Amino acid sequence: MTDKHSNSRETEQKKYLEILGDTIVPNQLLFSVIISVAVSLGGYNLGLWFFPSIASENMVASYSLLLGITGTVLSLVFCSFVFKPKRILIEEETSFESMKEVFEDLQLDVDEELALIENDPITKKELEELGVLEQFRALGGEVKK
Amino acid sequence: MSLLLTAFLFALIGAIVFSLIGLISGTDETAIMVPLTLLVILLGAPPVAVFSFFMAAVLAKHLTHAVPTALMGIPGDTTAVPLVDHANTLRRMGMPHVALRKMISGGIIGAFIALPTAVLLGQFLGQFADFFKSSAGIIFTLAAILIAYFSKGRWVSVLMIIPFAFFIKSLDLMSFTLLEKHLSISFFLGIAVGPMFSDILFATSASAKRSIERSKPKEYNLAPETKAWKGYFPNPFKILTNRQKFFTAITTFISSLTFVFSPVGMTSLMGEIVGSRTKGAYKKSTTSLTVMNGVTESTYIAEAIIPLIAFGIPLSPVALGPASPLFNAPPVFTVDPVNNLHTYMTSWDFFIYGLIGLVVASLIAYPFSMNYARKASVIVMKFVSQEAIVAMFLGLACLLAFHEAQFVGIALTFTVAAVGGLLNRILGIGAGVQFMVFYASAWIMATLFGF
Repeated sequence: MTDKHSNSRETEQKKYLEILGDTIVPNQLLFSVIISVAVSLGGYNLGLWFFPSIASENMVASYSLLLGITGTVLSLVFCSFVFKPKRILIEEETSFESMKEVFEDLQLDVDEELALIENDPITKKELEELGVLEQFRALGGEVKK
Repeated sequence: MSLLLTAFLFALIGAIVFSLIGLISGTDETAIMVPLTLLVILLGAPPVAVFSFFMAAVLAKHLTHAVPTALMGIPGDTTAVPLVDHANTLRRMGMPHVALRKMISGGIIGAFIALPTAVLLGQFLGQFADFFKSSAGIIFTLAAILIAYFSKGRWVSVLMIIPFAFFIKSLDLMSFTLLEKHLSISFFLGIAVGPMFSDILFATSASAKRSIERSKPKEYNLAPETKAWKGYFPNPFKILTNRQKFFTAITTFISSLTFVFSPVGMTSLMGEIVGSRTKGAYKKSTTSLTVMNGVTESTYIAEAIIPLIAFGIPLSPVALGPASPLFNAPPVFTVDPVNNLHTYMTSWDFFIYGLIGLVVASLIAYPFSMNYARKASVIVMKFVSQEAIVAMFLGLACLLAFHEAQFVGIALTFTVAAVGGLLNRILGIGAGVQFMVFYASAWIMATLFGF
């Protein structure tokens, strides 16, 4: 999470890039990639050098690969620790208002929806157990007024 | 007995690793499944264990990718895209947990229907296997044209088949001259990490950079915590209404048979058919989500299993994408000649070891996403940075390419990734088309130029 101060100060600068659907800081990505590639290949080559002395010949490649992937995972942990995620998490509260908004946005008729729910015992029971049936009913009443 | 135990352990690893990966939203299926499955194969896991691993991974990932889809309204991956609208309706009504419960219950049912159906159909189609194997070259080419036409780019994909085949074959000749062996893992990885790599190329281009620049971090809206059942393992059958169970069963059965179509396409189609027969926003959304996630699951499983059992050559979008290492992962598995899970496993094996994978994934991922969905996604979002994720997959791609062909492998992977990724991102020539052209390239070049 980015703290609010640095965020508001630098909103004018476009310092983030979107890679695979999420935002990153270019330099940090560069370092992460260098670390990850170096540690993975390093682990693999270390294995190729070290394992022949303790393992049978046909297992050397597999063990080395395993050491390489260990390196990849370790660098994932390390990079996550050093470079914090750039995401803003907003905790949502669903309210009566937003429910009303949804129905308006979707151009749904609340009465019709309510009638369909009331006339279908299975759905009615399901919503009752979820504790949202009352919300639907209240919403229906609100619109009528 | 020990083989069963090995398969079980690999399924366990697959289920745990992919339950966590599923929580990371927007992850590309092929880019993640291919390197990790290759890794398991190259490490020398027995074929049946590879299969259990794959099945567990697929189901686990799909069960947990429902979490970002339902709680944040962003697709867990490409197959979850058609579900976003309905998930958003329920999320805004304040019932994201209902969306999640319906989705993963539908997914579980879909998976267990798809497995036996796909094994039986694969067994049946197996009698035509000789024909398919002997004319694989022309089948790959025709399939490439068909898949290209139905890809996002449509005509450009068809137009690019011959140039792309020429490109692949040239690289193949080049690397053969250098190493005196034909490479394939490096090609695969290149196509798989292409979209990710093209974003990075954009980032390093002074002119193209603008399109991916952002002034502030991406925002995620997370729905509040709600739990509405008792105990640790809610019964998926109790969560769905009879009507939803019925529709899920029917649609997942049908979509297990249509293994040549794209999972996303089948998901949208089936969701639309069932949704249009359901009245009321709440019922429509919940029913559509149940059915759609069930269909995603069943097409996925069927598309991997049917070509494996029947032909041993990858003839479906999933077999060409995420499941491709099960067909081709030299030196362990090869397509030409067919020497892969098709040769090592009987239909019965596919059923038993597939079942192990599905059961293990259900026992791990299902209660996990039911009970800890919100907590887990907050942890992932807060502590695992995108930099680290992208770096990890690039590191993995380098590692596997290096394992196949040292620095030539790495150079080849990123050459293919650059060309394939840009074709994919800018022109909409999907990874499936590229994989198909890769398989067809030898036949196309031999037919055109006699080489």
